[in-house]
Amino acid sequence: MESNDERLAIREVRLGATRAEGGTREVSYAIGGERDLPFSGKRPERLLVALEICDDPQFWPPVVRDYVGDLANDTAEWARAAERTYGADLVRLNFTSTKQRGFDAFGAIAATTEEVLAATARPLIVEGSNEPELDSEVFRRSGEAGEGERLLLGTAEADRYRSVAAAALAYGHAVIAQSPIDVNLAKQLNILLRETGVPQDRIVIDPYTGALGYGFEYTYSVMERIRLAALAGDADLAMPMISAPTDTLSIREVREAAPADREAMAVAWEFYTAYAAVVAGASIVCVRHPLTVARLKTALEG
Amino acid sequence: MAMKALDIYKHLPKTNCKKCGYPTCLAFAMKLAVGKADVEACPDLEAEARTLLGGVTRPPVRLVTIGTGERSVAVGEEFVLFRHEKTFYHPPGIVVQVSDAWPDDEVRSVVEMVEETVVHRVGQDLVLNGVAVKYESNLPERFAEVVTLAGGGNSLPLALIADDPGALEAALAVAGHYRPLIHAATEENHEALAALAKRYGCPLAVRAADPAELAALAGKCADAGVPDIVLDPAPSSLAGFVAIATDIRKAAIGRTEPALGYPLSIDAGAFGDADAAIAAGILKYAGIIVVPPLSPASVEAALTLRQNIYTDPQKPIQVTPGIYPINEPGRNAPVLLTVNFSLTYFTLLGYLEASRIPCYLFIADTEGLSVLTAVAGGKLTETLVADSIKEFGVGDLVDHRLLVIPGYAAPLSGKIEDATGWKVLVGPRDAADLPGYLETEWKT
Ligand code: B12
Ligand code: SF4
Repeated sequence: MESNDERLAIREVRLGATRAEGGTREVSYAIGGERDLPFSGKRPERLLVALEICDDPQFWPPVVRDYVGDLANDTAEWARAAERTYGADLVRLNFTSTKQRGFDAFGAIAATTEEVLAATARPLIVEGSNEPELDSEVFRRSGEAGEGERLLLGTAEADRYRSVAAAALAYGHAVIAQSPIDVNLAKQLNILLRETGVPQDRIVIDPYTGALGYGFEYTYSVMERIRLAALAGDADLAMPMISAPTDTLSIREVREAAPADREAMAVAWEFYTAYAAVVAGASIVCVRHPLTVARLKTALEG
Repeated sequence: MAMKALDIYKHLPKTNCKKCGYPTCLAFAMKLAVGKADVEACPDLEAEARTLLGGVTRPPVRLVTIGTGERSVAVGEEFVLFRHEKTFYHPPGIVVQVSDAWPDDEVRSVVEMVEETVVHRVGQDLVLNGVAVKYESNLPERFAEVVTLAGGGNSLPLALIADDPGALEAALAVAGHYRPLIHAATEENHEALAALAKRYGCPLAVRAADPAELAALAGKCADAGVPDIVLDPAPSSLAGFVAIATDIRKAAIGRTEPALGYPLSIDAGAFGDADAAIAAGILKYAGIIVVPPLSPASVEAALTLRQNIYTDPQKPIQVTPGIYPINEPGRNAPVLLTVNFSLTYFTLLGYLEASRIPCYLFIADTEGLSVLTAVAGGKLTETLVADSIKEFGVGDLVDHRLLVIPGYAAPLSGKIEDATGWKVLVGPRDAADLPGYLETEWKT
């Protein structure tokens, strides 16, 4: 199935900017570029593992809080540890603080983005607000604070993509486009983003990842279908994919595991879901438990 | 590619003698066309027709059974490259490896673990499938002894992992009648191993690193009289496994290389991370996955992934809509509305049974969609609820007119009240909170 036809390739998306590229990162990554099924034909330059962290740990899974301890209260230190100690290729910063009732600390959004950029040397994924009313301000502040760094900004959805698209366009970032486990919806959202002016080489598809045992099989097949459509020449689906099995740590098997087994269960569940997403074609997998990062890195090398 | 039923029919004797087990030659042709029958079943076929039809009507991946009896595992007989094209049919057998160099106790405890492990999910019992005994002692009689210790194939299917014909012969003397998988024939030993496989009627794995060599080896063993073959592509990396397995499945499905039309096996212990290898095997076409002893967390995740990947993508696992009494409810017991997605039902059932609260589960037909999905997709509606109340006679079961609905269905509460005349109570979103909610909120 290998082909030399340029049109059959998944588009390359650049994440992060080095000094030479106008940012401050020590490395930047190019994801995408595949021309065949995952692991077949020309292999992508690299597959990336992101560790997710947040700025307000009260909204974070207890099994991760127990593991990272005090780090959870210092977002910049947590980000540093994600790279240096846990070995993540990049950090995904979630602004969970925006879940607080009456949130209006927009200044902190900019400050935290800057601190995390200063604490890390690799490209950064920034997950904006969880509330549509806050979107435009949160994306603007974080987008502005990361200007020149070519962040991967999330998350655009069909009914709320304008704010994140605007911030990406204004400050030169890439965008995560999420649709609920459906090829046609993924395509439609990409078209909407294109019409808004977001260049196609700045879009990463998030097909939505159901947890293993809780809908993952649908995600797996939709990822395969997206990839096959792209390889067959559908330009609106020819973007790299990102998968974040965020639901995994709140499923019954993890929550209700005996305390002594909970960590192992959380890591096993995240690992199996994320690795399977890679086999289905994901270029970036995002996990929350630090132990899952090292395991994924080993597995992806083997 | 596959042949149509009528084209196949042209080559059959057309006597409708029924010796094949089908009422007519045409009925047999139709089964052959979908890969569900074996040409060999018709005794009156001309040799030429037999060869021709054999090539085009067998399933692209042969069905191979390891072990005998209740716990035997049948793998292969797959028809597609991607599960969304139709479905995958035969989940891979996961066999846990022990070594004949281990002390007896260690072997025994692994065998017990395999026998006893059951993960209950959505109404199915998920199990590990067998034991692989690896020959490392260099003593054929010790190999046979450990094979006996592993049940000899009587209780659990076995894989016998050895290159040495002598050791295999000793083991087969003990376990040969239970169809163990002989693993694996190579360029060096294939004649002796094929002879053993033929003598005992056992499936045989063949191993070679290059697909062309693998096909040649499989062909030789088939010619030597071994019909049931498993392919071990001996990959040097996991990425390599995924790539080779994909190529082999393509060749099998496209019938470009019939000698590759067999299930694959993978040794998960041979890679940096056994869990990754298990996942890769499940996702990419392995029929037999040999694994090192696994932690309970790995077992549960692996069996869940296998269940996920091998469910029919067109049809969620469902329960029959209707009224389900739980914990012997009376006429004042709460009525709880939910959907007919199995996962939803079994999740609720687990919590409700543990709580001992008597209640009725009222399962509406959302075509197997979960609550949130059914609400988002317009499959759970006030009309459906009103019609189902009538259809199931819910009003005749209880003296009250109160309906507890899932928290995620809250947007429908007013509409359901209007359409049914029942008073709606919006329950919690998470089933784990349901017993607590009923204890404090339920009053009639
Ligand atoms: C797998 C999945 C699918 C599968 C369907 C699988 C299935 N059989 O249902 C597919 C891919 C087909 C699908 C399709 C769609 N999906 Co969908 N899907 C999911 C996913 C990942 C998991 C659903 C699941 O299995 N949940 C597990 C079961 C057990 O949950 P449950 O039934 O809700 O039951 C729980 C509770 O409700 C409660 N409960 C159940 N019964 C009762 C009863 C009472 C009385 C009480 C108190 C509680 C209670 O207990 C259970 C356990 O806590 C979710 C994401 C998520 N995190 O939920 C999205 C999700 C539900 N889907 C979504 C959407 C939008 C859709 C589509 C509309 C998209 C589209 N247009 O195509 C379609 C709709 C279907 C259609 N077109 O008809 C959205 C819904 C957004 C929203 N908040 O409204 C979600 C949340 C994803 C997202 N974030 O975007 N989906
Ligand atoms: S055994 Fe052969 S000849 Fe007889 S009915 Fe079947 S297909 Fe026809």
